[in-house]
Amino acid sequence: MSMQELYFNIDNGYLEGLVRGFKGGILKRADYANLVQCETLEDLKLHLASTDYGNFLANEPSPLTVNVIDDKLKEKMVIEFQHMRNHAVEPLCTFMDFITYSYMIDNIVLLITGTLHQRPISELITKCHPLGSFEQMEAIHVAATPAELYNAILIDTPLAPFFVDCISEQDLDELNIEIIRNTLYKAYLEAFYDFCSQLGGTTSEFMCKALEFEADRRAFIITINSFGTELTKDDRSKLYPRCGKLHPDGLAALARADDYDQVRAVAEYYAEYKPLFEGAGNNPGDKTLEDKFFEHEVELNVNAFMQQFHFGVFYAYIKLKEQECRNIVWIAECVAQRHRTKIDNYIPIL
Amino acid sequence: MGSLFRSEEMTLAQLFLQSEAAYACVSELGELGLVQFRDLNPDVNAFQRKFVNEVRRCDEMERKLRFLEKEIRKAGIPIVDTGENPDAPPPREMIDLEATFEKLENEMKEVNTNQEALKRNFLELTELKHILRKTQSFFEEAEFHHQQMQDPALAEESHALLLGDEERGGQPMRLGFVAGVINRERLPTFERMLWRACRGNVFLRQTEIETPLEDPVTGDQVHKCVFIIFFQGDQLKTRVKKICEGFRATLYPCPETPAERREMAIGVMTRIEDLQTVLNQTQDHRHRVLVSAAKNIRVWFIKARKIKAIYHTLNLFNLDVTQKCLIAECWCPVADLERIQLALRRGTEHSGSSVPSILNRMTTKQAPPTYNKTNKFTSGFQGLVDAYGVASYSEVNPAPFTIITFPFLFAVMFGDAGHGLIMALFALWMVWREKQLLSQKGDNEIWNIFFGGRYIILLMGTFSIYTGLIYNDAFSKSLNIFGSSWSMIGVSDEEIENNEMVELDPNKTDIYKAASPYPFGIDPIWNLAENKITFLNSFKMKMSVILGVMQMTFGVCLSLSNHRFFRDPLSVFCQFIPQLLFLLCIFGYLVIIIFYKWIAYDASISSSAPSLLITLINMFLLKYTDNPDDYLYTGQKGLQIFLLLVAVVCIPWMLFLKPFIQWRASKSGRPSVRFGTVHMQVNGATEDTAVIMDQDEGEMPPPPAEAMAAHKEEEEFDLGETLIHQGIHTIEFCLGCISHTASYLRLWALSLAHAELSEVLWSMVLHIGLSFKGWLGAVITTMVFPAFAVLTIAILLVMEGLSAFLHALRLHWVEFQSKFYKGEGHQFQPFSFEALMEDHN
Repeated sequence: MSMQELYFNIDNGYLEGLVRGFKGGILKRADYANLVQCETLEDLKLHLASTDYGNFLANEPSPLTVNVIDDKLKEKMVIEFQHMRNHAVEPLCTFMDFITYSYMIDNIVLLITGTLHQRPISELITKCHPLGSFEQMEAIHVAATPAELYNAILIDTPLAPFFVDCISEQDLDELNIEIIRNTLYKAYLEAFYDFCSQLGGTTSEFMCKALEFEADRRAFIITINSFGTELTKDDRSKLYPRCGKLHPDGLAALARADDYDQVRAVAEYYAEYKPLFEGAGNNPGDKTLEDKFFEHEVELNVNAFMQQFHFGVFYAYIKLKEQECRNIVWIAECVAQRHRTKIDNYIPIL
Repeated sequence: MGSLFRSEEMTLAQLFLQSEAAYACVSELGELGLVQFRDLNPDVNAFQRKFVNEVRRCDEMERKLRFLEKEIRKAGIPIVDTGENPDAPPPREMIDLEATFEKLENEMKEVNTNQEALKRNFLELTELKHILRKTQSFFEEAEFHHQQMQDPALAEESHALLLGDEERGGQPMRLGFVAGVINRERLPTFERMLWRACRGNVFLRQTEIETPLEDPVTGDQVHKCVFIIFFQGDQLKTRVKKICEGFRATLYPCPETPAERREMAIGVMTRIEDLQTVLNQTQDHRHRVLVSAAKNIRVWFIKARKIKAIYHTLNLFNLDVTQKCLIAECWCPVADLERIQLALRRGTEHSGSSVPSILNRMTTKQAPPTYNKTNKFTSGFQGLVDAYGVASYSEVNPAPFTIITFPFLFAVMFGDAGHGLIMALFALWMVWREKQLLSQKGDNEIWNIFFGGRYIILLMGTFSIYTGLIYNDAFSKSLNIFGSSWSMIGVSDEEIENNEMVELDPNKTDIYKAASPYPFGIDPIWNLAENKITFLNSFKMKMSVILGVMQMTFGVCLSLSNHRFFRDPLSVFCQFIPQLLFLLCIFGYLVIIIFYKWIAYDASISSSAPSLLITLINMFLLKYTDNPDDYLYTGQKGLQIFLLLVAVVCIPWMLFLKPFIQWRASKSGRPSVRFGTVHMQVNGATEDTAVIMDQDEGEMPPPPAEAMAAHKEEEEFDLGETLIHQGIHTIEFCLGCISHTASYLRLWALSLAHAELSEVLWSMVLHIGLSFKGWLGAVITTMVFPAFAVLTIAILLVMEGLSAFLHALRLHWVEFQSKFYKGEGHQFQPFSFEALMEDHN
């Protein structure tokens, strides 16, 4: 392990420095305090110009829209990511590719759902996350069944091994798509988890923690969202990623849960998740469970930067940046719609 | 030199500008470039400031201009740089400018959309043309196969099969097909996907389009392929079409019979020709619009940037309670107050305001920025000093001394007249062609560094010629200008014939004419001597120590100038005097005995001369022998012990006296002796300024934390901290004296290295060529000389020059400046349009 750290800088020193530099440019509390005071999107642009974002909106003609801001934010993040990816060597390449797979899964599901609703593919493509785009993506509407999806499209993508569990001759309908998404995600998380454990050292130390949390979050959310749908308990339990802290006892308990309170009771047993459920509520002024999870994720990811010589910082940076994009878009939406009461519901990055 | 010796005297001033005149005044000040504005509302967000709308409008103007510039560059039209520098237009003209830009942008956009549509049309037609042409061969091939199928000999073999088919289908199978164009790099995946999705039931033929096609949106050249897919049945058709759509392949209708295809091809050709003429006209129109814009765009850019800079500056100002005038605070050099006043008056006149703008000087505790007025000659040297640290306000600026000492120390290390001459000529060329070279600003960073330092290089080269002549070294050869003082008269021919080497004894008067030593520099005969290096080492080492001690002593003396200027007698007595004594008692004494030995010992008694190094070491070890040969002069022992005692006494003197006096002063309740920056007020505070000060106390934002801390420190005296501080300084100085003196020996080391390198280059390269005789010698010399020249320039001039430069820089930053220079100031950054425009270029 110590040897790994000794040689870390030979291959990855530059990139780690770079990502730490990028992380230094993440908006602080003071920036958010200024952003929420904006009256118009033009104000927002002016303030962002004084941060690390610089002139990323300078060439956009007025009037600005939230969509343009969102696209540009994503574009900037993708440029940064691609730059690092292009300079990476193994095993960091694979690690960074793993980060993009989750976006690919989201894109596939988005496209299939869209075609199911007869939307033109060109319109859907613009909504896809650029980090998860792949070449065969646009031809996805050829597929009518999961088997076709696999045989025609996914087989050439890195997602192919994750899809093996989903091949069945059923039609692609809303429920099946959700099942496919979650099965894919499960397989992906488990594969990523294995990969990180193999890397060892600080990387596995941090990444296992982060992925465990991600897996458990999915398990909770799947359970909560499944109430009142046709999904059977049996099918549900198949969707839980089995690399989290909940595995195996917690997952077994979740599989039996019938309502929110039972889920909550499961979380009681886990010191990390107990406070999240305790602080969450749906009343006005309360934070939603989702936000609580996001907050916890941010805290986790910020901690990644406390240690040196590991890949976790790349993962953490992308996650933090994604959260930052969500925050800015949220604030921009509130500003654009003149709906200021909820403008403070962003999640500041410490 | 007066202006460079200390930085300009600065003052904080308050400006009262009438709202209507503020714009014009700031514009004038920007042209002048002599004031640095302070931000008076640091807590206000960028978008909550007063003139944020104007700034935003300027941003928008700049965006439009950037758009135009991009289009102009894309069209390859040169942008005219007339060197014109228009004043910032008055605010009312801003609307005109905006309107102009708006109109241009819209026109441009319209033309672009038109052109794009036309180009798209054109692209489609061209692609169709290619399809028709390329598919022709596919169909011909198919035809051929078809005929083969009907060939009776073959038909028999496949008869059974065909028969079976016909019986089932009733008629021969009909293949459907689609033809289209796809990007070349997407083809492999496309093909694979087709195969997978249709389970191998399609047949794809493709061929490349040789000429790249233009993408109508981006204008890039893209390579494409024509493909044709044969399939059977409607289900496959929809599937194939979906895949084509997914891969952004464009499909075109393609008639089945050759006659129809030919007809269509002719139609397409005529349409392409028509379109070409329309396209050309649009292109011409666009070109005309862009050319007219290109003429003005630079001036527009300057105007927009100036307006933006002015509003940006106005955002730093405070609004008066009555809303009638703006209040600004700025740092400005006292010497230029007149010019600033004049600029303000001009601004007020321009705006037609009846109430004049007012400039009041203020007193402040904050440290003013450091401003050294430089010209093109001194700026390079000031840059060398500033790279280490910007001088604290009004402390002694080492730059004027650096102008001479830097090139000189460089030359001591670089000493070679030939190399120096090349360097000086290069620099002279840069200085001579200054104007032309400046106008063709390059992006080459390395060239810009050399060009920026052209005056430094010129002086370095000139000094190198001088030291080279002193060392009598030009391309490692000596010049016998005045005739050597040594002669071979006393040596018999026999001696010369029998020995490879002859010893020349300076004690024999016929060999060495002691009465007339070589008048300038080293006698050229040394270049031939076996013991040349030993001789030169002794000379250069001693010279290094002498130069070093001189420079360090000078540095310590400059600190006296600082103490006197800041009215700090305590530091003079407790720091300057012991420091000087310490340095002189040890190393000053060393320099004196070096000179003494040079004078007192001549050739006849040189063999009994004591070693200086041993003498110095023994001085510290208090080791004195009874042998009179070990002494340079009588009474040496007593004097040396006395000097050593003085030096030792200096250490506690430096260490304890100053903290002790300060501590006693603070205990007795008297205000401690100020040793910080003293604000120099030339005119005493008048009543006016006093009033403003009072106002200021109320309005001013709380002083920054640093200032508060400094203030506190003055009130509470911490003996321990001061002692530690003083201890560090004392140790640094005492150890520094020793290590710095040793450090100056790099002068000798580098000069030795340079001389040796150039000698190696001579003997290993050019000498080989010169040692051949006759025509062969001519040929080889011609061949060898380029190598010699290139190596001389690459290694001896560039590489050795850089290394000597770095060492000279270090000697100045560390050895010289550590004796007196704090370098804790901050640079004066005036609001200046000129600097602004340079940033943008």
